[in-house]
Amino acid sequence: MKITSGFLLSAAACALVGAMPVQAAWQPQKPIEFVATAGPGGGTDNLARAVQSIITKYKLTDQPVVVVNKGGGSGAEGYVYGKASAGDPYKVIFGTSNAWQQPLVSKVAFNYTDLTPVAAMAQDEFLLWVKQDAPYKTVGDYLKAATSGAFKMGGAQSKDTDEVLTRMIEKVGHIKLTYIPFKSGAEAAVQLAGGHIDSHVNNPSESVGQWRGGTQRPLCAFSPKRLPDGPKVTASEGWSDVPTCVEQGLAIPQYEQPRTVWLPGKVTSEQAAYYVDLMKKVQGTPEWKDYIEKTSQVNTFLTGEAFDAFIKQDLEHVKQVAAEQGWLVK
Amino acid sequence: MENLEALLHGFAIALSAQHLVLMVVGVLLGILVGVLPGLGAPNGVSLLLPLTFGMQPVSAIILLSSMYWGALFGGSVTSILFNIPGEPSSVATTFDGYPMAREGRPTTALATAFGSAAFGALVGVILITFLASWVAQVALAFGPAEYFAVYFLAFASFVGMGGAAPMKTVVALAIGFAIAAIGIDTVSGSVRLTMGVDELVKGVSFVVAVMGLFGIGELLIAVEEEIHARAVSSKIDWLEVFRAVARLPKHATALLRSAAIGCWMGITPGGPTAASFMSYGIAKRFSRRGQRFGSGEVEGIIAPETADHAAGTSALLPMLSLGIPGSATAAVMMGGLMIWGLNPGPMLFVDQKDFVWGLIASMYVGNIVAVALVLLTVPVFAALMRIPFVIIAPLIVIICAVGAYSVSNSYLDIVLMLGFGVVGYLFKKLSYPLAPLVLAIVIGDKAEDAFRQSMLMSKGSLEIFFDNRLVTSLVIVGIALLLLPLLLQVLRLLRGGAEARHEKVRVI
Amino acid sequence: MISRRVLELLTALLTGSFGLAVIISSLDNGIGWGEAGVDPGTFPFLTGVIILAGSLYNLARGWLAAGIAVSRADLRRIAGLFVPAAIFVGAVPLAGMYVASAGYIFGVLALAKHQSLARSLIIAVATPVALYIVFERMFQVSLPHGELAAALGY
Repeated sequence: MKITSGFLLSAAACALVGAMPVQAAWQPQKPIEFVATAGPGGGTDNLARAVQSIITKYKLTDQPVVVVNKGGGSGAEGYVYGKASAGDPYKVIFGTSNAWQQPLVSKVAFNYTDLTPVAAMAQDEFLLWVKQDAPYKTVGDYLKAATSGAFKMGGAQSKDTDEVLTRMIEKVGHIKLTYIPFKSGAEAAVQLAGGHIDSHVNNPSESVGQWRGGTQRPLCAFSPKRLPDGPKVTASEGWSDVPTCVEQGLAIPQYEQPRTVWLPGKVTSEQAAYYVDLMKKVQGTPEWKDYIEKTSQVNTFLTGEAFDAFIKQDLEHVKQVAAEQGWLVK
Repeated sequence: MENLEALLHGFAIALSAQHLVLMVVGVLLGILVGVLPGLGAPNGVSLLLPLTFGMQPVSAIILLSSMYWGALFGGSVTSILFNIPGEPSSVATTFDGYPMAREGRPTTALATAFGSAAFGALVGVILITFLASWVAQVALAFGPAEYFAVYFLAFASFVGMGGAAPMKTVVALAIGFAIAAIGIDTVSGSVRLTMGVDELVKGVSFVVAVMGLFGIGELLIAVEEEIHARAVSSKIDWLEVFRAVARLPKHATALLRSAAIGCWMGITPGGPTAASFMSYGIAKRFSRRGQRFGSGEVEGIIAPETADHAAGTSALLPMLSLGIPGSATAAVMMGGLMIWGLNPGPMLFVDQKDFVWGLIASMYVGNIVAVALVLLTVPVFAALMRIPFVIIAPLIVIICAVGAYSVSNSYLDIVLMLGFGVVGYLFKKLSYPLAPLVLAIVIGDKAEDAFRQSMLMSKGSLEIFFDNRLVTSLVIVGIALLLLPLLLQVLRLLRGGAEARHEKVRVI
Repeated sequence: MISRRVLELLTALLTGSFGLAVIISSLDNGIGWGEAGVDPGTFPFLTGVIILAGSLYNLARGWLAAGIAVSRADLRRIAGLFVPAAIFVGAVPLAGMYVASAGYIFGVLALAKHQSLARSLIIAVATPVALYIVFERMFQVSLPHGELAAALGY
């Protein structure tokens, strides 16, 4: 791997640390603060609280763990806070891919290189949803109907994951959609149920209730293979019955949102290693599996170089979409 | 009555000894977080959430929702006693509650507030019980254009009713809008009005603004006017608690009207804050003693409190049936639902009958428990008024500082809060109205988002606001409410009535 | 002593300069209203213009105001409340919330000779202890500990 810029060097250094076995183990001496870059009730907040309750239950550390919500500015508040806490190993920031995506498209006062990556712990899938009584049964029908140019696509936030995916659908499907940003995916789901928009690209957990309730249904999943088999969601269908988008002729093989964990910048390698190890322990518990299942996410654990490579790949991709749309901030 | 049967079954669940104990614990904890500015129901709920994972979902939600009731009641206490609203929805309670308490009637003010709040909550629960499915359908009819129309209606019913100079009202309102716009904009994702302060990307929290504008601002006014020199005689008077509650039925019209406004705003996306402001505004316009609002009128307390609780209660319904949380607390509870493995949405009522009806029954019981407990605490709270001003003043400053800080653990917020205090003093001193400023801070950005989402949908055309019967009638009612005071003014002039009102009108 | 006119002018200048700052700041976000919706700077720009125009009007009206707004005695009392409060807020980053609030209460009560020394001391100690128990212990809201505590290793 050829590394050219300074920040990548430091990121790679952190990555190496993550891969190292835990030695000379650093231990926390003070209460630990979990910073959720989302308001109470959001997906990121739920993750932070789930991790907190698991750590507390299994006494994985002697120190108390406190969850703090810093969801202002679509999460920027939490990342800026992390940047300002450089060198403080008692702040753990929970976020998503917006840690590296947001600085691309808006003038926020942080970049992901200001933080020390710990791990990506779970991946949320994306699906294409339409209203239950919509006439189209397949992605093909949807794309054909959307050529009218009057389709409205809802999503959470602007120039964030949902809109990036919308723009990808436009490009691959040769259609034009009007993107309407809402505060959250849950809001977009209700707008779809009320027929105010034509589709959205929610995560499974954001729309599962609506699917069960028969107000909307998924057309396809932006995943390389079908989602894992589980209990049926509606009377006849479960997640594994949803075709992949590629199967349906919409060539977007993979689009996922990682849930990411960070430390502030300038922490020592032992400190970072401690948290990598802690998160690994969390992931080994039955409660974690339960959490993953109930929120319909995919379990992953990316740390060190693998996490780094993932960020870089995603960043390239988003940069390309953002450049095409003219979103990049100067 | 299928619902009635289900409800009776729910009562059987809610009335177990274990659940009653949980309710009392929840309510007491709720009152505590509600009374302390800076801590709100979301703090309490998120604190209890991890503890509830081992419980039955229905027990857990009973505990959490009881805490929600307790916090709703507790939030009014500091508004009335110290002019510090702990929650956005109790701002309107300060307008008449605080003057009444200052007059030496804190017991009456608190008891009136709690009594009418309980009535509002009860109406909200009854609505949920019998019209659950209908309400869910109504909520679905609201798209961005309808959202905007609802916010517009709230503004229209409130603006232009104060006694302030029109241009001062306009400036206050516009400043509120500008403050609401600070931070990241939902619709474009861009950072706005941070003016070089990076931390402002999170926006200016409403709590920080009201702690300063109301809490510190009022303190400065009080010290200047030497209010503290006048002793507030507040004997601990248990009987007055009951007398105040017994007087409530005399204001039946105000109660019913406010409950209706509250339910309506709770179901539609307006929410409790907009409901309490709107209810106050409308009460001022239609009450016979409207002119005296702002100087400690009973109906000025009844109107916002009833509407606030009616809205807060009925707002739980969209959360359960649609999965949209009506408030920050509801959002935390919703996160809890998901962790317990329940998915909020239309099927919850079908799949989880025990859970839903247990919760609804607990709303009845929980509210009764809450109002009983809270009425018992009235004399205790009223006694706080007897603490000498020299001691209470620094305590209020500290509480405001802690409250501002704990919103998002930021020192900047404490400094901002103090700045808002100075602005609050200047505005009050020079009769700039604070209420429009606060209303704009609370719902200004939501109204703007809804408007711009509508414009995205309509490709920039205003016709979307006259697209269907619902949105058109909302907009027309809003315009009518906006024009009504002007019209009355013109009529008065035509009648040649230069009858100057010498009564001092309090600017709110 | 501050006359009503001065206070009115001061406030109008304050709101006016805020309006101006809003206008300038919103220009960065772009102003426009078209097929693609409303640009993010549009509404802030409009509110900025309204604030500025309204402030100018209030400035002119304020010139006509007469009388005394704040007398010398009033001013002294206000300063007596505000100055210690401002010092308290200024001391928080250094001394932390607990130490600062104890010092603040003690200063206001004892040094200003409002209360007896013993009583002041009790209130000054009880307040931060109560804050600590409720916030830090019960609700796990961490209040600022300050540079001082950091230097001492807390």
